[in-house]
Amino acid sequence: MDCFDLENPFTSLDNQESDIISALFSSESNHMPSHNYFLSLKSNDSFVSFRQEAISLILRAQYSCNIDRYTTYLATNYMDRFVSRQEIPQGNPWVLRLLVIATISLASKMKEQHFSSSNFQREEGFIFDAPAIQRMELLILDALNWRMRSVTPLSFICFFISLFELKDPPLRQALKDRATNIIFQACNEIKLLEFKPSIIAASALLMASHELFPLQFPSFETSILSCRHVNKENHLKCFNAMQEMVANETSDSIIETVSSSSTTTPMSVLDCHCERSSSSMAAIAVPEKREQRKRQKLNGFCSESNRVKISQIQPCG
Amino acid sequence: MKFKRRARPKQIRSLLFFLSETTYRFVDCGSVVLTLKSTPKLKMEKYEKLEKVGEGTYGKVYKAKDKASGQLVALKKTRLEMDEEGVPPTALREVSLLQMLSQSLYIVRLLCVEHVDTNKNGGSKANLYLVFEYLDTDLKKFIDSHRKGPNPRPLPPSLIQSFLFQLCKGVAHCHSHGVLHRDLKPQNLLLDKEKGILKIADLGLGRAFTVPLKSYTHEIVTLWYRAPEVLLGSTHYSTAVDMWSVGCIFAEMVRRQALFPGDSEFQQLLHIFRLLGTPTEKQWPGVTSLRDWHVYPRWEPQNLERAVPSLSPEGVDLLSKMLKYDPAERISAKAAMDHPYFDSLDKSQF
Repeated sequence: MDCFDLENPFTSLDNQESDIISALFSSESNHMPSHNYFLSLKSNDSFVSFRQEAISLILRAQYSCNIDRYTTYLATNYMDRFVSRQEIPQGNPWVLRLLVIATISLASKMKEQHFSSSNFQREEGFIFDAPAIQRMELLILDALNWRMRSVTPLSFICFFISLFELKDPPLRQALKDRATNIIFQACNEIKLLEFKPSIIAASALLMASHELFPLQFPSFETSILSCRHVNKENHLKCFNAMQEMVANETSDSIIETVSSSSTTTPMSVLDCHCERSSSSMAAIAVPEKREQRKRQKLNGFCSESNRVKISQIQPCG
Repeated sequence: MKFKRRARPKQIRSLLFFLSETTYRFVDCGSVVLTLKSTPKLKMEKYEKLEKVGEGTYGKVYKAKDKASGQLVALKKTRLEMDEEGVPPTALREVSLLQMLSQSLYIVRLLCVEHVDTNKNGGSKANLYLVFEYLDTDLKKFIDSHRKGPNPRPLPPSLIQSFLFQLCKGVAHCHSHGVLHRDLKPQNLLLDKEKGILKIADLGLGRAFTVPLKSYTHEIVTLWYRAPEVLLGSTHYSTAVDMWSVGCIFAEMVRRQALFPGDSEFQQLLHIFRLLGTPTEKQWPGVTSLRDWHVYPRWEPQNLERAVPSLSPEGVDLLSKMLKYDPAERISAKAAMDHPYFDSLDKSQF
């Protein structure tokens, strides 16, 4: 059985077929977190830090277990959808860890990738027994109603690129790679979470074309805006928010080198991440503003203190 | 790869157990830390089982009623074999595929998926209930009611045309998503008689397995709709296997009896050869090198019209294209939808 391809979630043989395209657009909302989630993230700092902490743990798994970026992206989608449907009381760092382990486990099963949760847990200094992870998997499956073939911004890239008159394959590839990078980055930006996947894909492609082919930008923009599935107003809002995100990103030189190389993550970057301590690595992997980094460090501290607590109470079990 | 922070890994025991089948609690050394909210009632108590309606190839099927809404549903129960790795990847991928496919109007709708575990001494057994919309009849029962009973009569030609078009549409939907059904038969085509809608059922689960000869209950799986390349042991299946079945079902709607009612794989092949002639290398390149090919008696092809006497010439032409020996030559579901046989059908209603 073929593994799940985020760029082609419907396993369609011809993913430019009009039926498939309309099915993608009509089902994208099923794969988004609920609207209340954005409101909570906007109004409640503890939600923001929970999400940051979860994402940085997911990214640590990506580097230490050698999982691809698509798998961790999928895990993040599951995590967001689960948290938006299931109340999770704050202040239990191990709940977050169990959730993250289970989402990565599910995502790697969908992607047919090997993920050794025990190795990762050892690295991170915690171990959950197999039944606990299994039950968490089932809880997530229940909450998401087994809709695990997520329709994400990545699902729309091929369709939108096909609207552009860009015939040269290397140029298409460069555009696609840059847009994919922007999309990966966008999942860390809370402001961008409320936009539909298709709108994020369209904005990311335009952003990428603005950087790579500024002369063709106006014609690309026209073809995207003339697509009947794209809401112009939302697209503009999303594009502006994304521009802000990319502008912030360029201030960080390390990130700059990662994203400007439009090919897949070079090994040297991986190595550079692995040599750092986990907390500063998370800060690199999650390109965010300063205050969010502080928050992460704070979280790192919290989980440290909790770990002590858990090991203290061990003997009584 | 090394991290500076490294706490001693210790097993955190019984972090998560469940109180009932639906309420989970995280427990940290005896103190309840967190309860995840879940549906208030026991999951399957939401449904009142009414009767067993069948044995699907992969599990039992019950007719049931959603107590809250009164809606009738079909519950399909399958075992979820858990191991060290948790939820099996094949189950995960297949159920999520089913979720996705059932968005088509011509595929039976998967309403939700419920898992129920029976927690015994920490061991984990889980059953998976797939909750489908319930339709009161299937094409087999419908054809039977026209053959026997108080008022035997042919199926109206316009109805055959409409059912066949919907069947092609559903099959095209599966195929465009890269999914083969592999067990299409009248029993698997459910009907909404009032609306005149036909929906494909029993797909998805088992894509990872070969088509079994016997179901888990040892009920014989019917061979009547099986494509000749499958019967001859071809290892490369394609979408054409489903189109063969569609052809057999088409003929059966016209005849009100099966076109090739074989009771063994060998007999099944002979039924096919007697009507369509024994295939030759010229007709079907590679046929004599298929695994289960033997030397068969040489039959000449019969006139297909005689098997379906009431069918229009366009209908016979479409049927002959569905029953092409060479899988590469067999008509696709999408091409079939554009065949002149459907010219007189108002396609805008679908």
